[in-house]
Amino acid sequence: MDIAEVLQHTSPELFLPELEAGDKAGVLAELVAGLVAGSPTITKQDAVLQMLESREALGSTAVGPGVAFPHGRTLAVQRLTVLVARSGKGVDFDSVDGDPTHLFFVLIAPPQDSGHKYIKSLAALTDKLQDDTLREKLMAAADYESFCAALGEE
Amino acid sequence: MHPQLQKLVALQDIEAMISEAKEQSSELEGMGFNLDGLASLQEKADSLAGEIEKRHLGYYRRLHKRFGHAVVPVVDNLCTGCFANIPASFVSATNENLLQNCESCGRILYWP
Ligand SMILES: [Zn+2]
Repeated sequence: MDIAEVLQHTSPELFLPELEAGDKAGVLAELVAGLVAGSPTITKQDAVLQMLESREALGSTAVGPGVAFPHGRTLAVQRLTVLVARSGKGVDFDSVDGDPTHLFFVLIAPPQDSGHKYIKSLAALTDKLQDDTLREKLMAAADYESFCAALGEE
Repeated sequence: MHPQLQKLVALQDIEAMISEAKEQSSELEGMGFNLDGLASLQEKADSLAGEIEKRHLGYYRRLHKRFGHAVVPVVDNLCTGCFANIPASFVSATNENLLQNCESCGRILYWP
């Protein structure tokens, strides 16, 4: 799966250019509030938050250098949805390398997704975000369009 | 939403996460994810199951064994388990606090 395909599951409404929260719990809540505000079919804020918190209990999703990929399946969503968020100041997200996390790619999917579209999207993103120059461009992008353009570049 | 339904939904989400972590572990670990918390997640699922009334939990387990997904979302007035029509009366405000089953397949219904 390529990045262009992953980007079909997000939208300008699902882009949070500057998170306010300064800790992990606050960021998770802000990300979920963003999902509910940006997606008309997601309404059960508590269920989504509970799922993402459980996922962090399994192991921190902050695995990329400066990047976290909170993800999972929940009954509370009807289709694969991707939200993108940034934190200029960085947040302690229990990252594998101990460094603060600046970029967040949230992927949530319904329980039934036989093609494993979300696992493939996750694989495409975790791979792509290894690139230092790309992450710098994403942090500097002025808006959603330039963010997606940078992400879509080969 | 019925508080027991809320717990059943959370339980199904966590149990699905545990199965996925086990079944796709090599793929997830290949992406850099660490799945060390599996045991603590299982504890969380067990304690959540303990908060669910026995009759509801028993019914959930039987459905899970039979269908995989015990709780299914209702989308466009259809049970997404068997695609039977769900009568409009099921969603009326008076039923908001009931735990409801699909009349055709018996799965527990959830309005996302
Ligand atoms: Zn049914």
